Amino acid sequence: MSRIGVFICHCGENISRTVDVERVAQVTARLPGVAIALDYKYMCSDPGQNLLKKAVAEHKLDGVVVAACSPRMHEKTFRNAARAAGLNPFLCEMANIREHCSWVHEDREEATAKAIDIVKFTVSRVKKDRALAPITVPITKRALVIGGGIAGIQAALDIADAGHQVVLVEREPSIGGHMAQLSETFPTLDCSQCIMTPKMVDVANHPNIKLYTWSEIEEVSGYIGNFQVTVRRKARSVDEDKCTGCGVCMAKCPQKKIDNAFDRNLGTRPAIYVPFPQAVPNTPVIDRDNCTRFKTGKCGVCEKVCGPGAIDYGQQDQLIVEPVGAIVVASGFDLYNIGPKPADSPYEGYGEFGYGAIPDVIDGLTFERLASASGPTGGKILRPSDGKEPKQVVFIQCVGSRAREKGISYCSKICCMYTAKHTMLYKHKIHDGQAYVFFMDARTPGKNYDEFWRRAVEEEEAVYIRGMVSRLYQKGDKVVVMGSDVLVGVQVEIEADLVVLATAVQARTGADLLAQKLGISYDRYNFYSEAHAKLKPVECATAGIYLAGACQGPKDIPDTVSQASAAAAKVMTLFAKDQLEREPIVARVNERNCAGCLACKKVCPYGAVEEKEIRDRNGNLIKTVAYVNPGVCGGCGTCQATCPSKSVELDGYTDEQIMAMIEAL
Amino acid sequence: MNNTAQKHDATPLVAESYYAAVTDALRTEAARLLSEGVVTAVIGYKEGRRHGTAGPAIVVDPARANELIFSAACVNNLALYLTKAKKGVAGTGKIAIVAKGCDLRALAGLMAESQIRREDLHIIGVACAGVFGSGADRREPLSAGNLAGKCRECSVGAPEGADIVIGTLPPLPELSPVEAEELARLEAMTPAERWAFWKENFARCIRCFACRQVCPFCYCEQCLCDRNRPQAVETTPRPAGNMAWHIVRAMHLAGRCAGCAECERACPMDIPLNLLNRKMARELKELYGHEAGLTPVEKGPLVIYREDDDQSFIK
Repeated sequence: MSRIGVFICHCGENISRTVDVERVAQVTARLPGVAIALDYKYMCSDPGQNLLKKAVAEHKLDGVVVAACSPRMHEKTFRNAARAAGLNPFLCEMANIREHCSWVHEDREEATAKAIDIVKFTVSRVKKDRALAPITVPITKRALVIGGGIAGIQAALDIADAGHQVVLVEREPSIGGHMAQLSETFPTLDCSQCIMTPKMVDVANHPNIKLYTWSEIEEVSGYIGNFQVTVRRKARSVDEDKCTGCGVCMAKCPQKKIDNAFDRNLGTRPAIYVPFPQAVPNTPVIDRDNCTRFKTGKCGVCEKVCGPGAIDYGQQDQLIVEPVGAIVVASGFDLYNIGPKPADSPYEGYGEFGYGAIPDVIDGLTFERLASASGPTGGKILRPSDGKEPKQVVFIQCVGSRAREKGISYCSKICCMYTAKHTMLYKHKIHDGQAYVFFMDARTPGKNYDEFWRRAVEEEEAVYIRGMVSRLYQKGDKVVVMGSDVLVGVQVEIEADLVVLATAVQARTGADLLAQKLGISYDRYNFYSEAHAKLKPVECATAGIYLAGACQGPKDIPDTVSQASAAAAKVMTLFAKDQLEREPIVARVNERNCAGCLACKKVCPYGAVEEKEIRDRNGNLIKTVAYVNPGVCGGCGTCQATCPSKSVELDGYTDEQIMAMIEAL
Repeated sequence: MNNTAQKHDATPLVAESYYAAVTDALRTEAARLLSEGVVTAVIGYKEGRRHGTAGPAIVVDPARANELIFSAACVNNLALYLTKAKKGVAGTGKIAIVAKGCDLRALAGLMAESQIRREDLHIIGVACAGVFGSGADRREPLSAGNLAGKCRECSVGAPEGADIVIGTLPPLPELSPVEAEELARLEAMTPAERWAFWKENFARCIRCFACRQVCPFCYCEQCLCDRNRPQAVETTPRPAGNMAWHIVRAMHLAGRCAGCAECERACPMDIPLNLLNRKMARELKELYGHEAGLTPVEKGPLVIYREDDDQSFIK
């Protein structure tokens, strides 16, 4: 007979509010094989864990069931406690009566009955648990950072400074991301380029950082400590080793009329280009879609003028496999576009704002380029339609954000602050101009943030109108803004020279595809999900993958940099060990039964299944069977589900255990 | 039932001389392979004890190659002898096997499932006009009237991908697809009617497992359904266990079944098992565009996941 201890947690009131925990203890104490059942207010606390340890010793327990929260929350905690009490940790199992019971039910009677059932079948499972020994695997002490914005740069620099190799992959021709596009930054109004570009140079010069720009993630395989990442280095058509960055090619390129995406299409660039003068690396890339040479075969000017002979029209995409032990995802964000949306998009455009067709209605990032000293206007704020100085500018907050009817219910977090900043930048450059801001709320938590906002209102004379804008339309050379002032209760109409929309921060287009490659989860807006909203804010649920910056949710620069450093710290924590201890929840093959069809090998997502030959003592082949490499197995159980003869089983989740659990009900 | 010969149209499909010629060529080839040491054994057919019957034979002596025959009575799927007798025939060297089109499909499937290797086989394909259905009067020549149901819709009469193909078939008449018609009749039923149909059929099952023993794809060392710890399927022939067994069998064959219909031929209780097999094959074709073919496919449809896989079954 087993001697199993059942420990039932109240979880404060999280469980005991709905489940009669005392009754669960009374009933389960009488189950066959249960030696003792106890309840306690916080089983995970120190006294709670001591209860468990004491009971293991006193009652000579050979199995433990902790009826509490999800195993994702505290399985480790209680397994460690069991280990400390001298029990094999894998003889301790969680019965989830919180997420699976108390949180989702209201009826106390029924919830209690269900909790008893959950404990019952977990007891049946523990009875058939095997003592397991942990598996250790080596760690590749190299990190991959995806995205070269401020988040990726910070994470890469921190990890590299700690002495580890970093591979930094950036999709664009230069690192820098959105921050490189900004003019000045809140709450101190220091120039973005001035604080950003030195860090970019540090990345380029760091001996521990291998930088791949104009590159994308093609495929990710492996697991924590041992990922294999395939990077696609898109053909740049310029040999990075030979190019000196002199820029003659760009100056001589006859095709110069291409919209400059970095300047939000306000200026133009040549077909061979660097996105901006401070680009890192300062190696141009040929935009093959717009290059005359690639379109018609005629031209070739850049090749002729290039002194070091760096132009290579025949360059092909290259696939490079990088072994890494940890991955930091810092892939950033996109801005909401008010234009009409395709039918399959969950978002609505802003027909009432003219769907983006009014030239003097721009978004915040475009305003940044207008205000930037290195922007298309040299830092002069001039409106796009006729290049005149706008004397009345209307800023509209929450465009796309907090607008459930448009498809997004969240707050984009950064707009209140940057709109306040925009009114100041505007005032500093056009002293006789007037800025108006339509806003729902001013959300300015953060160090020196509210002071900054107050300054915009009180000292820089921005007129804040609490209310929404219902319509924008062109009238002569003005844009008429029709809105309401809900504090005064009147309709407002302003004839503006320029309208700036604080559009929502959105997940990158294609963020879901990258997540699928990485095997990480994402929410309904395609922002990547952290493992725990409060206690694991930078970890993904997938071990060894960490998040930094706006790919996880809207963030300003200080938050992004903090999170990037936090992610880097997590990577360093991982790299501080030489061996990684892995849970021994892995599949094992019953070699006697295995018929060697190798269906398991075909379905294994980890590539953990190998062929193994069974030979007799004379070396004659008897049969070939499947073998699961425990160091590689991820414990997903796909093989177990696939095996026609049930010859492969996951420890802790054997068919026998699952059947016993069902039969216990 | 579907394998049962239809009692009409007794016009011979092929002349008797066709089988004589194929048999001659087969014996010559087998004798050559064995005497030249190309193979260590030839798996084929020899005459049965009763008139007009044939049974499996394994010939290892070139002198006995003349015992081999080929006729419309050669119903067995010989691929079975490469897997079930893993420790016997296999592993002794290269083996020749006589294969009709449907048998060849089974061989291709077994290769894909790592059970046999092409290089260990010398496949003697035979062009086949069809085999007798059960209950056929073996004194009559093969005709549309006594042909097995599966053969009426055969598309692999002349096998491809064999090392040698013996025989060239005369043009054969188009026959009404009785199995497809029966399947259409079943599919037209309401779920309740269909359930009743299968319940009635499975109720007859005596769990002799002839269907399993004769199936080239049931090669597991220990069948899931023979296990008792834990027991997945009740072993006694009671309705619930019968239903479970036949569902397991059908699901395990989905996308793999070669359509030889040996299960149905071997069934002593006349359960129309090939109808289930065909239904599963059709589902696989409709869902994943997959058909068991004559060439090994590395990954079958049920061991791959693709983004565009049909997911309409998730409700």
